[in-house]
Amino acid sequence: MKERTFYILMSAVVALGVAVTAALVIYTAYEYKNCSIITYIATELW
Amino acid sequence: MDRMKKSTAIAMIVLIAAIFISFDVSIYVLFTRRAVDDMTVEERKAAISLEDYLPFAEGTRAVTVESSLRFSDVDKLPVLDGASALYPVYASVAASVYPEGSVIFEDGAFSEESAVQFRNTLRAYSAVADGDVDIAFCAAPSKEQRAYAASVGAELELLPIGREGFVFIVNENNPVNGLTSEQLRGIYTGKYKNWSELGGPDRMIDPKTRLAGSGSQTVMEHFMNGEPMITGRMFGFLGASVGYSFRFYVEAVPREMSVKMLAVDGVFPSAGNIKNGTYPLVTEFYAVCRSDNDDENVRRLLDWLLSDEGQGLIEAVGYARIK
Repeated sequence: MKERTFYILMSAVVALGVAVTAALVIYTAYEYKNCSIITYIATELW
Repeated sequence: MDRMKKSTAIAMIVLIAAIFISFDVSIYVLFTRRAVDDMTVEERKAAISLEDYLPFAEGTRAVTVESSLRFSDVDKLPVLDGASALYPVYASVAASVYPEGSVIFEDGAFSEESAVQFRNTLRAYSAVADGDVDIAFCAAPSKEQRAYAASVGAELELLPIGREGFVFIVNENNPVNGLTSEQLRGIYTGKYKNWSELGGPDRMIDPKTRLAGSGSQTVMEHFMNGEPMITGRMFGFLGASVGYSFRFYVEAVPREMSVKMLAVDGVFPSAGNIKNGTYPLVTEFYAVCRSDNDDENVRRLLDWLLSDEGQGLIEAVGYARIK
């Protein structure tokens, strides 16, 4: 594989990964602000 | 240098993608999933469904008692509002005292003309201060709510009409079933950081607080006796939570929600223990109006709430009477 092709593909994967992670964090923060404390406690992992 | 082995390049790209996917899935499982539920914001504010207690509706759960006070269509009706946990109380007041047709509920909300409204504690206090609501049924106001009333030149009159249990909740899989008041305060001051210090598993304590100005947050601040509260813990979501609310509100949540109430100082917050006064964290709730609201029907309704009939209604709805 050409190095240039590799860097383009890798950059695309990293950019997509960063974008999805950022969106997930923002969405989580928004939901957390409005979330029900009962739901939060009820869905705890044990 | 210009070319690299194709399999190596693909492996590196897949590895980076896998790292992102693992990280995002972990965030979702540990945190996002818990913050998201399938109810809308409005439904969450009203875990006790507005429709369930809609006055005069067929099959309503609003309680109707025999009442010597009965307003008619020609009376100026006091506008009622209040905390979500107390909606069953004031819906039942309307069902018992107000004329049919005075409560207008359309498209999942009360219309502006309706004598019953639903803003919950956060906005009901300002609505009373602003004169948009005559009587709000709420827990004690926060400092901010008192300050807002003062800023608009309103003095709030608080008439205690009933009592309710203030409860602490944990996940039902948490083996801890009860704590002392001192231990609960210790959790929220940060003294206790791990459930193992309180007879539970070796797991971080994640103390949850409520929105400033909500009824339960105001009661919690009183419970803390002025001690500063921690508002969360770094990586607390990896631990096991504890939170607080009012008993009626917790009782109203669906059974499949796996939360349980904690005994406090050895007494479980059952309806009976709240009524007989053995449960230590019992708080009064109030009918709140502007002290300069001299509307005759407001005064008649406040008097009725303290009468045998009004107190009987409080008890019939599921709360403890004040008299």
